Amino acid sequence: MDVSVLQQYAPMLLRGFGITIFCWLFGTVLGIVLGLIIALIQRYSPKPVRWLLQVYIEVIRGTPFLVQLFVLYYGGPLIGLRLDALPAGLLGLTIYGSPYFAEIFRSAFRAVPEGQIEAARAIGMTEATIIQRILLPLGLVSALPALVNFSIILTKETVILSIITVPELMYQVQRMSTETFRYVEANLVLALFFWALVEAISRVGRKLETRITKHLIERT
Amino acid sequence: MVQASSVEIRKLDKFYGPFQALKGIDLTIPPGKVTCLIGPSGSGKSTLLRCMNFLEEYDAGEVRIDGQMIGYDSPGGSRMPARKLRDMRRSIGMVFQQFNLWPHMTALQNVAEGLVRVRGFSKDQAAARAAEALEKVGLSDKVANHPARLSGGQQQRVAIARAIAMEPRLMLFDEPTSALDPELVGEVLNVMKTLAAEGMTMVVVTHEMGFAAHVADQVAIMEAGELVAVDAPTRILHSPEDARIKAFLKTYHERNAF
Repeated sequence: MDVSVLQQYAPMLLRGFGITIFCWLFGTVLGIVLGLIIALIQRYSPKPVRWLLQVYIEVIRGTPFLVQLFVLYYGGPLIGLRLDALPAGLLGLTIYGSPYFAEIFRSAFRAVPEGQIEAARAIGMTEATIIQRILLPLGLVSALPALVNFSIILTKETVILSIITVPELMYQVQRMSTETFRYVEANLVLALFFWALVEAISRVGRKLETRITKHLIERT
Repeated sequence: MVQASSVEIRKLDKFYGPFQALKGIDLTIPPGKVTCLIGPSGSGKSTLLRCMNFLEEYDAGEVRIDGQMIGYDSPGGSRMPARKLRDMRRSIGMVFQQFNLWPHMTALQNVAEGLVRVRGFSKDQAAARAAEALEKVGLSDKVANHPARLSGGQQQRVAIARAIAMEPRLMLFDEPTSALDPELVGEVLNVMKTLAAEGMTMVVVTHEMGFAAHVADQVAIMEAGELVAVDAPTRILHSPEDARIKAFLKTYHERNAF
């Protein structure tokens, strides 16, 4: 172990970690939004639309993130989509996560008892109000554990952004490794940072879960 | 006295695929009266009830609330606009077997929600009206409780409060006491009796023969998607002529004999 090398590279590594967190947060939030929109459209639209969205879901879920990123970054310019590394990475993460989030929401919405939706319909609520007041709040409760779980998986997908030269943590670690041959130290730092991030996310997730299920648990 | 609707049902058919759940039902629900639908499970009584607010789409025939057809523009016509259907549903209250309270809201919020979102009340107005409705069902001390902190009987009374706060002219009850522990049935039936005494038009799918016998103005007996008989409870329950009614009452009496 050579601590002095780590000290020397610390600012770079920290900056990389910052970019990693940014990419993860951006991709997760937009992925959740996109997934939610897909799930809602699927719930309320006719068969052809549902089928088309299902094709999107299957294609994205069925191919490696690495390949999707290559297609977006290197293939994009062929159809006039010229993106810098960071925007391409953010867009890629968003697209990659969206079908998983869509499926999480789809099953969460199905877990909302039909009777509670019918009760809202029976008093004359509009579908938009039902979504806003009943479906979303209750759907979110059952979706939350799976949402947290998949967003944890997404933290580790960010390392793939290094191959299109997004200067996130993995990129910096590789740079440090090739410059100093300190592979073990560099990757140990990477592992520690990710472990800390994941730990923080799961703690926040558990807090949120306790808070939003507080009133739903029967206490006798 | 509340304003009370009437319901006329003519030649009503309902299919689930090839299975015919309702076979040409003709039934008139007079205003301000209590009609109990009874019959063995699977006989179509819940389906019939759910056609009255169009939670169940019917395939042929008519369901009219105060002369206005619900669900379709005209007999055999196209679906009525969603807005029109919502307007009709505002004056039809419904109480479900499984209560169907919204678990993320308190009792008060459950009752106030429709007032705010559907009737356009302000939050304060809605809260005041909701508190009144909850008082009427005897739950003034439970306004702040979430459904998970209420007994089944209390939950069902909140559900009734949620419906009556909207000032319906017709109340539909779909086996309102079937999911309750026996000792909690009475409190719900008592609230329903109060409503009946106020002159609310009520249609009640139930297995509570006592309620049917004492509170109903008319009893309709269903079997296998058909209406077997419609008459005053004394005549139907005490001196049935139809063999199918006799058979149904016999199994009922055997089940409850001890």
